[in-house]
Amino acid sequence: MSSFTHLHVASAYSGHFGVTRPEILAQAAAAAGDSALAITDRDGLYGAVKHIGACLKLGIDPIVGADLAVTDESGSALGRCVVLAHGQDGGLGWTALCAIVSSAHASGKKKDGISITLPRLAELAVRDGVALVTVLVGPNSDFGKATLIADRNIAANKLLKWRKALQATGSLGVEIVSHITEPGTDFCNQQALRMLQLADSMGVPAVLTNAVRYLQPDDAITADILDAARHLEPLGMFQAQPNAQAWLKTSEQMSRLAHEITQDGDRAKQLLNSTQSLADRCRLNPENDCDWGNPKTPEKSTLGIEGNPFEVLWQRANAGIEWRYPNAKEKLLIDVRHRLSQELITINRLGFATYFLTVADVAQMIRDMRIRTAARGSGAGSLTNYLLGISGVDPIEHDLLFERFLSVERTSLPDIDIDVESARRHDIYRAIFKRYGSNRVTLLSMQSTYRGRGAMRDSGLALGLDDDQIDQIAKNMWRFSARSFRNAIAVKPELAQLAEAIEEDRKMNLLVDITERLDRLPRHISMHPCGVILGDASLLNLTPVEPSGLGLPMSQFDKDDMDPMGMLKLDVLGVRMQSAMAYAVREIERVRGQSIDLDAIARDDPQTFKDIRSTNTLGIFQIESPGQRELTGKHQPTEFNDLTIQISLFRPGPMKGNMIAPYLDGRHGFRVPEYIHRDLEPILKETFGVVIFHEHVLRILNTMTGCGLAKADEFRRNLEDPRLSATVQTFFRQKATERGYSADVVQKVWEVLESFGSFGFCKAHGAAFALPTYQSAWLKTHYPTEFMAGLFTHDPGMYPRRLLLSEARRLGVRILPIDVNHSSDEYLVQNAPRRTTDPTEPNVGVRMALTEVQGISASEVQRIKDNQPYQDVADFYLRAKPSRRTLERLALVGALDEIAGLNEHTRGDILVRVRELNAVVKRPTIDPNQPMLDFTVVERMPTGNQDFTPADKVRRELEILRMDVSQHVLEEYREMLDEMGVIRSSELVSLRGKTEVLVAGVRVATQTPPMRSGKRVVFVTLDDGHGCSDSTFFDEAQQRCSNILFNNKLLVIAGKTRRTGVKGVSLMAENAWDLKELWAIWQQQKAQQRNSQKIA
Amino acid sequence: MVRVDENITVAVDKTGDPIGFLWRNGSYLVADKPVRWFARREWWVEAARVQRGIGAGILEVEMWRLMAIEASAKCKNQYELLHFTIDNTWRLVRVYS
Repeated sequence: MSSFTHLHVASAYSGHFGVTRPEILAQAAAAAGDSALAITDRDGLYGAVKHIGACLKLGIDPIVGADLAVTDESGSALGRCVVLAHGQDGGLGWTALCAIVSSAHASGKKKDGISITLPRLAELAVRDGVALVTVLVGPNSDFGKATLIADRNIAANKLLKWRKALQATGSLGVEIVSHITEPGTDFCNQQALRMLQLADSMGVPAVLTNAVRYLQPDDAITADILDAARHLEPLGMFQAQPNAQAWLKTSEQMSRLAHEITQDGDRAKQLLNSTQSLADRCRLNPENDCDWGNPKTPEKSTLGIEGNPFEVLWQRANAGIEWRYPNAKEKLLIDVRHRLSQELITINRLGFATYFLTVADVAQMIRDMRIRTAARGSGAGSLTNYLLGISGVDPIEHDLLFERFLSVERTSLPDIDIDVESARRHDIYRAIFKRYGSNRVTLLSMQSTYRGRGAMRDSGLALGLDDDQIDQIAKNMWRFSARSFRNAIAVKPELAQLAEAIEEDRKMNLLVDITERLDRLPRHISMHPCGVILGDASLLNLTPVEPSGLGLPMSQFDKDDMDPMGMLKLDVLGVRMQSAMAYAVREIERVRGQSIDLDAIARDDPQTFKDIRSTNTLGIFQIESPGQRELTGKHQPTEFNDLTIQISLFRPGPMKGNMIAPYLDGRHGFRVPEYIHRDLEPILKETFGVVIFHEHVLRILNTMTGCGLAKADEFRRNLEDPRLSATVQTFFRQKATERGYSADVVQKVWEVLESFGSFGFCKAHGAAFALPTYQSAWLKTHYPTEFMAGLFTHDPGMYPRRLLLSEARRLGVRILPIDVNHSSDEYLVQNAPRRTTDPTEPNVGVRMALTEVQGISASEVQRIKDNQPYQDVADFYLRAKPSRRTLERLALVGALDEIAGLNEHTRGDILVRVRELNAVVKRPTIDPNQPMLDFTVVERMPTGNQDFTPADKVRRELEILRMDVSQHVLEEYREMLDEMGVIRSSELVSLRGKTEVLVAGVRVATQTPPMRSGKRVVFVTLDDGHGCSDSTFFDEAQQRCSNILFNNKLLVIAGKTRRTGVKGVSLMAENAWDLKELWAIWQQQKAQQRNSQKIA
Repeated sequence: MVRVDENITVAVDKTGDPIGFLWRNGSYLVADKPVRWFARREWWVEAARVQRGIGAGILEVEMWRLMAIEASAKCKNQYELLHFTIDNTWRLVRVYS
């Protein structure tokens, strides 16, 4: 029995169509003894690289194609075809396939799906009379559909059209498919036979496929759901797939199918043979056909380099020494030169000089654009990167290792990630395209996959459940994978209602099952948030591209495809904090005339560290989360390295590895640091004997075995893999013993390495992050007004904006309300006269931006800005031409107070006036030559209308700005809260442990961090205008308040204080209530009291 | 065409093709080679569970169209049979005369 090769297979990367991941399909084919397998995803090569990688690993030949829609010259649909690249032709087939896919995306309109015209397809499919690809027309083509119609000639003519376009030998084939459907319908045996007969009569080769969508019949149910998601309609509302036959059938089954279709043993054999011939022609040799694994960088000329790139790199790096170490002592310089030589030797041996020059070139270009940059990741461990200006952290000062970043043991292109101002990221992309040419650059794509809520929503849609019902359930899906949905229902208290519904409602039961089926399937392709691919002039021959949302071309490959394809990916990541800091620096310069170089400020400012230690870290990079705030309270950092350590500690690994407590105990002197052996003391002194950093592991391995740091990094990576860690252990024990370490020491160190090694964190990454952390803290300490303006304008961080406002109030930064005469589209720092005689009141403040007004359009904002200042409300109405809705909203939030003259008029008066103007049917236009005669628009403010109460004001602000500006939202409830004895969060720090208290506030964060015990713990952070309180809900408390735990915004929480450090206090929650519910009850009681008093 | 929906007993040959069936006390013999295909079911209307691994039987049924002669009668009629592969039960769904 000869083996069959599937030539038409959609993987899960055929969005909303295919079900099975390429790796699984390849495994199944290899296991069944097939010698090759094709992947033909819809509209592109989305799964191709993964497919090739899997095939190489399994020792079968990869075949790659795409399933594309085709039209004629005039745009009329000709159905779909499969285009298969020919292999072993030096990449001509692969390049043609890429060009065909790119061309389809470039011309097709996204709305009706992408497609390519037949003439264009034919043009790209053949070169010099030689076919580079084979186009297969099957049951989904116009020809295939026509064979279902009785008139044979119609179908014959359709095939003739394809034949005429694709005349070269091997450029066209007919794809015979039968899913054994009802006779006379698509994909039935009779259609297949008819197509075969027509192909024979016209001399077009025919091949057999199964138009595969999934691995096994069971997956057809998942395919149904994907169809619903693609149609955006519930099952039953569209024509569903005919049955469950589109699976990866075995060779034997395909052979039987050939006989069933042809009813003729010889013809069946011939069909199977021609299928194998085409398969043979399409077997790819990835190295020769796709330039697999061969690193590609821009040509020297594009980088402006002449001569040997390594010599250029050597010169540039050495020139950087003068810049980075201007007044260094000779001893340091010797270290620097020595280390640089070592790094450069490695870089040269790997042949990566051009790569480093490319990244340096991009970094220099970004600096020339005057955009803030910082490095991230292990790249900060490289002195070369520091000297070339790619990274801003001195690896020698911070004890960072190059070998963690790059070594001869590790031949893949390293990742160098550059953080930039988020607001300028797209400018940088465009500049990169311009600098290197659009044939050498594309954006990187990413496949988002179905996760929890998304899977649930699309499952609900497929079943036709109503939106509210889906929303309700989705809201309570919290931190668990959809794959374990049914399991979660049994144990999570907030899903108790759903558990009941499942008992009674069949559809709910189905919902759970299909949500689990969708989990982790690719969902849609989008632009990667930061990746740019840089290559040489052949880049677009190797990857298909499609337009991105940004207008720039985007590769169909994702980040995991880069290394196998030898493609250089540069991560240019937009970081909002960098934008916020750049903005603050510009405001400082604009308002105060001071110019500040954030990268040059001293990194040991005592006041900055004092402010950090107060735990009021809101708005500071990396350490503002509730957990980091708590850790700050315990840790009390005093120097830059402490920030590096703290950032690195607060990661899932170190938390799971229980590294935090021993480190803190050592630091605060509760425990004598244990170094196991004196040789390890210098390595672990900074962390009091606790292994936190990858760099620690490298140094320990190197010190005790003498293996060298490069080898040590390989060992470190092997430690993460239980299968490989055994060999590391053998090596470590043997070498360490040889070098004279006692059995006891070897045993103890191994235990540490084994349990802690894989949890650690790269110190270089921590140090790279600590830099913006320190810089933002410094700005917050010394220029809080400008810093807050930057935060508001660029909105970094994790909290709702109203919390920033609360923090500004707490800091004493004046918030100037929205005002049509003073506000713009950004938060500007403005002078503002003191409202009191208090000389400590600042006379500058942050002016809120017009953009906060809900529903205001960009053009309205622009008009308001352009026509400032305004005389009065009517003037504003006439010249700024706001919409009725915007005008009223501006009045409601007080933006017209100043021009209306609030001293004489109430907010009520202004509102009456605005409504009067809004009642005018047609806004009069201003003619400078005519006196204004229209009496409605001549200003005459009404008087005597009631002013807004403070509570009214806040209500309107929350409605329109989603922020409580004039006072904290909790103030409205203050009387009740005081009566209840609810304390302010700023008072918590002065309380003893285990004090029973009540706190209240607006929920600003809910987190369920990973716990060592595996039990879920819920952290809720409330803001009450006096700071934040953090409450921890353990199992029992979660049960008690399951219905409000994740839902309600305003909460009252009862609990016991738990002291965690000098400045650290959190609450062990016992119960929680909905504040509004309490308020309603309280008001009722008050009313009753008043009534009974009256009666008495 | 008459719609029927009744359980019947079917005899098959060794490849699984039906060769005869019993219906309403009548015995029917299959005349020509029967035609088989796979049709689908609307599992979202009928099924209680569709968890992974439940199998395609919930989505798919085997259908047979065949010509058969009742032993006592003389004329051939066309019949459509439905075969549930999960429990190997058969139903007669249509009769064409």
